[in-house]
Amino acid sequence: MAVERTPGGSSLIDVLDRVLDKGIVIDAYVRVSLVGIDLVTVEARVVVASIETYLKYSEAVGIGPSRSRELTSPSSSEEMDRVMAENAELKKKLESLS
Amino acid sequence: MTEEGSGNVTGKYVYCIIKSSEPRDFGRIGIGEGDNQVYTVHHEDLAAVVSDTPIRIYDPTRENVLAHEFVNETVMRERTVIPMSFGTLFRTEDDIIELIKSTYHAFDDVLQKMEDKIEFGLKVLWDRDRVIETLEEENEEIARLKDEIDRNAQSSTYFARMQLGRLVESALEDAGNRYVRDIHESLKPAAVASRSNKPIGDRMILNAAFLVERDREKAFDERVKEVSRKYEEALSFRYTGPWPPYNFVNIKLKLEKVGS
Repeated sequence: MAVERTPGGSSLIDVLDRVLDKGIVIDAYVRVSLVGIDLVTVEARVVVASIETYLKYSEAVGIGPSRSRELTSPSSSEEMDRVMAENAELKKKLESLS
Repeated sequence: MTEEGSGNVTGKYVYCIIKSSEPRDFGRIGIGEGDNQVYTVHHEDLAAVVSDTPIRIYDPTRENVLAHEFVNETVMRERTVIPMSFGTLFRTEDDIIELIKSTYHAFDDVLQKMEDKIEFGLKVLWDRDRVIETLEEENEEIARLKDEIDRNAQSSTYFARMQLGRLVESALEDAGNRYVRDIHESLKPAAVASRSNKPIGDRMILNAAFLVERDREKAFDERVKEVSRKYEEALSFRYTGPWPPYNFVNIKLKLEKVGS
């Protein structure tokens, strides 16, 4: 039997995986600041810090279940850096929420 | 936290940015209670999709994140969206116009790149123990070592066991990579782009997102079904979407002092 597609919003984990730190992201500090700042009257504005789009087909390398190779292969260590940065960011976000 | 006085202070929750010059009303589907009508705030040909809300910090509860996602999915049916990450509030409509003004080129550029593209999620899991059983039968080296260990039950088999463990580990990795490569090869012709996130847990061998042209949705569907049928004995697939292109857009915004 072939797999059936389920709508995006039907899995909370998949939703959380996306909405918390992807798309247009304002860091937690600014997010909290914004609700107290009137951008029009206060001398501050929201600007783009970085912008990335991913329009390439990334070949899957070294994403097998073993962890050891991931650290040594370059494409995966980049991935690891990204995940660690994401991790740190999420932790920060979580702290700010509690 | 910033609710002042009577708690009547309202702000705007922002869900996503779209290209649109016409005001739009998406109905009462917004986050939170009360008047959660979802509508658009415009600057030139871009618009933010928003709803009114008391000024507050939204916790990422089930109800809240699903409301955020539901609005995005609704808007996505008729527009290309750049999704906002969860929980972004602005105080006034003018603030949002200021936001679009100062980020116009970035938003406009990304909207063009994402035009008529949607995201799909694919997670692939395997039964590790079952794969190991198969490996023990099919891989000669593993079978030989296992046999040796079984036959020498009385004497020390420490070294053989270590070797066996390493062999199984690397054979597993090879098998996983083979599956993943083949799945990617099968889906590539129907997708514009793909991204691999880190698999979660021991059972997952692939945690990927694919960006697909709207009019290739059926073709992509077919390919996912085909590859899931091919491996139905060994792997289980979790296929989700369409999603806004969360995994393919990353715009980080920060606050800057005017004049600095």
